[in-house]
Amino acid sequence: MAAATADELRIRAKRRKIIIQVVLIGVSLLAVVGAVTTARTNLEAQGLTSGFAFLERGTGWDYSFSLVPKDISDPYAWTIFVGFLNTLFVGFIAIFLTTLFGFIIGTARDASNIAVKTAATVYIQTFRNIPLILQLVFLYAVLINLPGPRQAMSMGDALFLSNRGFMFPGLNVSSGVALTLLLVSLALGVLLIWRKMPLFTGLAAWIVGSVLICLVAAFAFRPEGEEMFSIPALQGLRFRGGITIPIELLGMIVAITLYGSAYIAEVVRGGLSQVPKGLTEAGQALGLTKAAIWSQIKMPMALRSIIPPLGNQWIFMMKATTIGVAIGFSDLFYIVSISITQSGQTLELIAILAGAFLLVNGSLAIFTNWLNARMKLKAH
Amino acid sequence: MLKSISLSSVAAAALALLPVTAMAESPTVKQIKERGTLLCSGHNGSYFGFVEVNDKNEWKGLDIDLCRALTTAILGDPTANQIVPLSWAQRFPALQSGDVDVIIKATGWTMGRDTELGLQFSLPYFFGGTQFMAHGELGITDAKDLDGGTICVEAGTTIERIAANYLSTIDVEHTMVSYESAAELRAAYVANRCDAFAGWGPNLAVLRATEIDNPDAHVILSDQLSSEPISAAMRQGDEEFVDVVNWMLAAMLIAEEEGVTMANVEEMAANPPNPKVARLLGAEPGMGERLGLRDTWAKEMLAAVGNFGEVYDRNLGANSPYKLDRGLNNLWSHGGVLYAPILD
Repeated sequence: MAAATADELRIRAKRRKIIIQVVLIGVSLLAVVGAVTTARTNLEAQGLTSGFAFLERGTGWDYSFSLVPKDISDPYAWTIFVGFLNTLFVGFIAIFLTTLFGFIIGTARDASNIAVKTAATVYIQTFRNIPLILQLVFLYAVLINLPGPRQAMSMGDALFLSNRGFMFPGLNVSSGVALTLLLVSLALGVLLIWRKMPLFTGLAAWIVGSVLICLVAAFAFRPEGEEMFSIPALQGLRFRGGITIPIELLGMIVAITLYGSAYIAEVVRGGLSQVPKGLTEAGQALGLTKAAIWSQIKMPMALRSIIPPLGNQWIFMMKATTIGVAIGFSDLFYIVSISITQSGQTLELIAILAGAFLLVNGSLAIFTNWLNARMKLKAH
Repeated sequence: MLKSISLSSVAAAALALLPVTAMAESPTVKQIKERGTLLCSGHNGSYFGFVEVNDKNEWKGLDIDLCRALTTAILGDPTANQIVPLSWAQRFPALQSGDVDVIIKATGWTMGRDTELGLQFSLPYFFGGTQFMAHGELGITDAKDLDGGTICVEAGTTIERIAANYLSTIDVEHTMVSYESAAELRAAYVANRCDAFAGWGPNLAVLRATEIDNPDAHVILSDQLSSEPISAAMRQGDEEFVDVVNWMLAAMLIAEEEGVTMANVEEMAANPPNPKVARLLGAEPGMGERLGLRDTWAKEMLAAVGNFGEVYDRNLGANSPYKLDRGLNNLWSHGGVLYAPILD
C-alpha cells in the first residue's frame, strides 16, 4: 500500500471531522425529537393536556411579594413574569451588594493589619463553608422572631424593624415611577463604567447623580398637595406609608449577600495577590498614600484577573435566588413550582423556568465578556 | 311520561307481590360475621381527633369510635375489630383488595372517588372546611377584621386558592405568605410572622391544642370558607352494607335528637318515651330484621359509644383537648347540617 501523501492525509482528517460533526448533530436532534414525541405520547396516554394555553388562565392564588400590581385573577403568564421580576430584583441587589462587600472584605484580607486580616479570614471561612440554604433558614428563623408590628423596634419614629419587615421613609411616588428611577440610576452606573471614570470619582458621581434625579422626580411626581416623602406609621394590623421591605426579601438579600460576599472576597484577594510586588513598592517609593496605591495601582491591575471569575459569581448569585422557596419568597422558582402543583403543566413550566434563567445568565455572561474586553490592557 | 308511569306501577305491583322477608344479607356483613372481626382503617401514626394512638398505645378518635359503633352493630361487641394502620395513599387500594372492610378515615366524598375508584359513600358524618386561626391578642372575631393583615397558608393546596378567593370576595386587603413546608408555616405563625393562618378547620384546632404553648391565646374565626363532606367509603356493589353503615350513622343522630345517651340508654329502652325511640332501641321490632341485624343493635351500640354528640364532644369538641366548635357538625335542629333519614 502506497503511503498517502500529506495532502490526502489532510483531506481524510477533514472528512473525518465533518462526519463526526454530522453524526453528533444527527444524534442530538434524534434525542431531542425522541424526547419530545415520547413525552407527548405518554402525556396523551395519561389524558394530560400539554401546551401553553394555561398561561392565559387566571391562577386563583396569591403570593407574598411583587414589584408591580398583582391580583389573584391574573393569568399564569403575568404571575410568572412577576416572579421573573422578583428574581431579577433580588438577583441584581445581591450582585451589587456582594460585589461591594466582596471588594471591601477581599481588600481587608490583603491588608497588612493583622486584626483586619484575621477578621476578614474568619468571616470568609465561616460564611463560605456553611450551605446557603442553611444560613437562610437560620436567618429567617431569627428574623421572624423579631417583635411584631405593634412592638416594632423604631429609630426616630421613621425607621421600623419588626418581624413583618423593615419600614423606612420613601419618596411619595407611584411604583411605576420608582421602578423607572431605579432603571435610570442603573443606566447612569453603566454609563460611568463605559466612560471609564476613575473608581472613587465614578462612585461619587453615581451616588450624587442618583440622589439628585430621585429628589427631582419626587418633587415632580408627588400626588397633589402631599409631602415629598412618605413616612411609615402603624395603622391597624400593619404599617402604611413609606417603603416596606418584607422580612422574606430582607432575609433573602442578607443571606445571599453574606454568602456571596465571602466568595467574591476570595476572588478579589486572588486578583490582588497577583499584582507584582514591585508595582506596590514603586508606588510607595513615589510617596503615594495607601488609598492611592490601592485605587491607582493595585486595583486596576487586579481587575483584569478578577473580572472573569467575578462574572461566574454574578451568575451564581442570580441562580441562588431560587432558595426563596424555603422561606415563602415569591421568586421565579417559587412561582413556577406552585404553578406546577396548581396547574399540573410540569414540562411547560420547567421549560419556561430554564429559558428564563438561560436568558438572564446568558446576558450576564455577555456583559462580563464585554467588561473584560473593556478592561483589557491594550498593549497585551 | 306515560311510559315511566306505567313502568313504575308495574314495579310497584311486582314489589307488592313479593313476600315480606328480610333483605338479602350483605356479602361484606356475612364475611365479617364469619371472621368475627371488623377490619377498619387506621393511620400510620396519629391523625389527631380522628384516628390517633394514645399513650397507652390504644386507638382513639372520632373515626375509631364510629368503627367501634359499626362493630357493635354488626357483631355485638365493641372490641371485635382490628384497626389496620394505613397511609393516606394506601387506603383505597387496601379497601379494594379486602385488607379493610370499610374506610372511616377523614375521607372526603369526591366524584372521582365515587366513580373512577369504584367506591360508594355513606351519609356525610362530618363537614370540614377552610377556616382561619388568628392570634387572640388582635381581638379579631371574623375575617373582615383581618384588613391589612398577613395570612399564612401552605403553598400549592386548595386551601391557598379558597382563602385567596374568599378574602378577595369580602374585599379584605391583605398580604399572603405561602410556605412549601408545613413545618415552616407553623413556625412562621407561632412566631407571629402572620396575623392569621388558613387551614382545614379540624387541623387548626388540633394544631392549637398540641403545638402551641398557650392554646387560649388563639381563636378560630367564625368564617367557614368551604365545606368538604366526610363520609365512610365502601366497595361498590354491596348496597346492603352501605345501608348498614348509613343506619349506624342515622341511629347515632336520631339518638342525639331524642336525647338517648350512653348513660340513659337502658332506662330509655325499658320505658321508651315515644314509638320512635322504642323502635330505635329494639323495644319494638323492625330495626334489625330489615338490615339483617339484631333488633337491639342500636341499643348495644349506643351503650358502647354513645350518640353522635357524645362521640363528637369526646374526640373533637368540648371534652377533648381540641375544643372544636360543632358549627356545621351539629344537628339540623341546632344550626348544623347533620340530619338522619326518617325511621319509620
